[in-house]
Amino acid sequence: MDPARRLGPAQIGVLAQLVVATVLLGGIYALISVGLTLIFGIMRVVNFAHGEFLMLGMYLAFWAFVLFTADPYFVVLVAIPLFFVVGLVVYALVMRGVIHASHNVQIFTTVGLSTVLQNVALVAWSGDFRFVRPWHLSTVLRAGSTTFNLTQVVASVIAVTLTLALVAFMKWTHAGRVMRATAQDRDAATLMGIDTDRVYRLTFAIGIAAVGTAGVLVAPLYSVYPTAGLQFVLLSYVVVVLGGLGDMLGAMLGSLIVAGVEVAGSYLFGAAWKEIFYFILFILVLVFRPAGLFGQRGAETLGV
Amino acid sequence: MGALLRNRRGAVIFFGLAALTPVVVRDAYFLDSLVLILLWGALSAAWNVAGGYAGQVSIGHASFFGIGAYSAALMVTRFGRGPWLGLLIGVVISIGAGFIIGFLSNRLKGPYFALSTIAFSQVLLIGVSRWRGFTAGGEGIPVPFRPGFATLGLGHVGWVYMALSVALVCYAVEVYLERSRVGYQLAGVREDEDAAEALGIPTRKLKVGAVALSAALTSVCGSLWAQYVGFVDPTYVFSVDLSVRFALNAIIGGMGTALGPFLGSVLITSLETYLRATFAGVKAGFTGIYLIIYGTALILVVRFVPDGLAGIATRIRMRRAHA
Amino acid sequence: MPRFVFTLVVTVLAVMLGGELATVRGQATSGEYRIGVLEPITGPLAFEGKRHMEGLEIVRDLINERGGVMGKKLVFSVADATDPTAAASEANRLITRESVKIITGTFSSRLCGAASEVAARHDVIYWESSCVDPRFNKRGLKHVYRTEIDATGFGWYNVEFIAKHLAPRLNLKPNQIKIAFLSEDSSYGQGVTESARQRAKTEFGMQEVMVEYYNWQTLNDMTPTILKMKQLNPDVVHHISFSNDGVLFWRQAKEQSFLFKALVHAGATGYGSADFGKALGNDANGVFALLEPGPGFRLESLRPEGQAIEKAFRDAVQKRTGTYPFGAHQLAGSGLWLLKLVLDKAQSDDPEKFRAAVMSLDLPVGSMINGWGVKFSEQGQNANDRVQHYMLQWQNGQLVTVWPEEFSTLRAKWIPLGAWDQRK
Repeated sequence: MDPARRLGPAQIGVLAQLVVATVLLGGIYALISVGLTLIFGIMRVVNFAHGEFLMLGMYLAFWAFVLFTADPYFVVLVAIPLFFVVGLVVYALVMRGVIHASHNVQIFTTVGLSTVLQNVALVAWSGDFRFVRPWHLSTVLRAGSTTFNLTQVVASVIAVTLTLALVAFMKWTHAGRVMRATAQDRDAATLMGIDTDRVYRLTFAIGIAAVGTAGVLVAPLYSVYPTAGLQFVLLSYVVVVLGGLGDMLGAMLGSLIVAGVEVAGSYLFGAAWKEIFYFILFILVLVFRPAGLFGQRGAETLGV
Repeated sequence: MGALLRNRRGAVIFFGLAALTPVVVRDAYFLDSLVLILLWGALSAAWNVAGGYAGQVSIGHASFFGIGAYSAALMVTRFGRGPWLGLLIGVVISIGAGFIIGFLSNRLKGPYFALSTIAFSQVLLIGVSRWRGFTAGGEGIPVPFRPGFATLGLGHVGWVYMALSVALVCYAVEVYLERSRVGYQLAGVREDEDAAEALGIPTRKLKVGAVALSAALTSVCGSLWAQYVGFVDPTYVFSVDLSVRFALNAIIGGMGTALGPFLGSVLITSLETYLRATFAGVKAGFTGIYLIIYGTALILVVRFVPDGLAGIATRIRMRRAHA
Repeated sequence: MPRFVFTLVVTVLAVMLGGELATVRGQATSGEYRIGVLEPITGPLAFEGKRHMEGLEIVRDLINERGGVMGKKLVFSVADATDPTAAASEANRLITRESVKIITGTFSSRLCGAASEVAARHDVIYWESSCVDPRFNKRGLKHVYRTEIDATGFGWYNVEFIAKHLAPRLNLKPNQIKIAFLSEDSSYGQGVTESARQRAKTEFGMQEVMVEYYNWQTLNDMTPTILKMKQLNPDVVHHISFSNDGVLFWRQAKEQSFLFKALVHAGATGYGSADFGKALGNDANGVFALLEPGPGFRLESLRPEGQAIEKAFRDAVQKRTGTYPFGAHQLAGSGLWLLKLVLDKAQSDDPEKFRAAVMSLDLPVGSMINGWGVKFSEQGQNANDRVQHYMLQWQNGQLVTVWPEEFSTLRAKWIPLGAWDQRK
């Protein structure tokens, strides 16, 4: 069942396609995880409802498509501010009260939020699978025998752009510096006069805007249904942990690694085992390098 | 004995009512609901041993539940032996798994630990789903009902007392943890691990022990559940939803208390069965509402009523005492 | 505040408990006959449960227009089977509170196993209309029946189609066919795939080049699997899927220019559901799915009584949903219709009399909805060859009936599938 051992042109073609698959899949994972690592990194809160915001983004793309025949790429422009506001609202209603509470409280708050969102979607829109079919869905770019799905390429490019933009934001703007300071030492930041509440609000809103946008971009590739978040949420945690909390470039690399493990695992051992591989990788990283493959040792206990 | 009963008034009322119910009520559905309340309560109490008393909040306890359920089911269907043997084997395996999770708890804190427990339960889920040759894979295992105690083929009344026994055992373990030296040490670990360590308390061993004990109790409940419901399906018994549910009851009822998990179970299980029964016929979509209610309840309780129902009861009692 | 919350909680509990203790609905509201309906209305399988309910309600109304059952109006007590625990608990409720003597449902194997056990313990008849677990009828439970074929039946029909219809049109002998098996890994996918593999190998000697399972809920990319399959070069791909993965595979197979001669699926999910056509439009052309009859089905091929009820059923579904019946409608609806036939014969819901009536029914193919016949085995399973199944094919946005040829006006096209853009 394994491909022949010789490395002829056919084998190279397969390898090239696998690499492309990894990069494109990694791009999608990065897009989804960037928001999570920001929230996790700066607020030190595990957002178990992350997948549900992704799902809401997918539904936004669907309804915009069905009601207004709006192409998802246009919807993105609406999604960013819309989900930013959603993030502000959710923060004010739910998250603010538990920021200073214990981990258990935070965990179960977001778990509860996840349940609520999933079922609101189920009650409002039923469990039927929906599809977004813009004209460019089946467009593929070809280079030799290797194919690139256009929608995935766009999603990956946007993921990279978004990540770089956020990195730049964090590094060079005042707001970004303030956020990083709060992440490093919440108490010191407060003593320095930083309004940590505003910082967290901004962080959460940006994170939700990122994942909501990801949902819009990803919607044409998969079906839209209330538990769609489950497809991605667990692996985005793996990505975030691999890359190191709050490290967005790390998240991108982590995405590539997870995608690579999935693609290689599927190809060599069969699709049945791919999740086991990255879960085991996850547990190993948690045990041996919890700061992530690229993070500083010991960083995981800071503020946690 | 008198003092014990007086101090544990709530427990006496709860378990006493549970024990008396089958004498008074013959309605099978009511008894079935009671069995579920007791069983979910026991599961939450088992979770509480690790989560509430040792402070190791896991969202992966379904791992142990599934191990127990599969052990019992496989022992009956594959090896032709009784479920009790399966229960014992499940306990042994779960203790092993508990050691692994306990080891993880020594390396990881808070949300990291929770995430690792989720990963563990998912690895088990996938592994069991694929291992068709042994576990019948995704198709699950139907567990036959054969009347008799050895085969756990009990009638409704029998199941009430069976569930009650397990619930009492879990409750007793919790009480032991509240009143014994080991329990005080565990509380120290929970509140401030570094300080406890400084005092010479063997924090690592205690944590691992607590998790293993919690695992064993959860496994027992899982084995019983398999015989009660009669079908073991990997995507259900290892699911994250189930793990959350164990924690949910304990949190709503009061995480650090012995009776809390049972109070939580009474409220949640009753709410669930009631809403499901009432809304099933109405427009199909509305049945999702009780899950929305859960989620909202979880968010609200965890923030505003962190002591849970038991905490409320205590506060009322204290207020009355001071009035 | 604490006191308020406490009082609130206690009041809520009291109301619920009071409600629970008080309501025991008896059977004997005059002129009405009540059966229990157990379907997944919430939870991960809700999308199918909803369709089942529609089918059941439609046929219930058809039944009541024709005099009801045993001279009384047929009425439902509906219960939601979210998961196995709920299924068992709700079955209990239906039996003890709603006093039903017959329960029908339940779509998924994980639900029907638990629920039927409960029914058996109370001597209540369990009338299953669609779960496919082959072990369902092998537990020695006397009053548990299944109107639809089980997974082995699906696999049987699929391989029948491949060997008897596809192979000749591909100019291949069955034992020359290279077949790849791909499937989602729930009990449904595993059951059908394994039985298909069995028959393909043992009876026809087909060459199995690959067998792979995956979890449909976490599958994000099928490219690696497709690349592997390209190299193995199968003639036929046997893929059992749900909606998300079916669309993903087909779309990515096109992207990777993966060519093969035919794709065969079974059941009303994935390739067999309307979602597939909605997602891919004409790109869906060519895919085969084993189902109940679709457009193109020749009413005339049925017997007169079959024609009458099939037409009435189709019209009623069209009126209510605006579409041709879906698989879920057809399974649930025909199960209920068959129940009516049995009750008319038995004129009683006493388990023994019921069983006698069930066993005595012997109707040829073409006698009822879906063109089914009836003949139950001793284990309570409706026979494979009576429960006629049909191969449908996606043609220009519709799933149409193409096989067996005597039942349809339409014919299977694109055998072999040919280039992706040539399938018009």
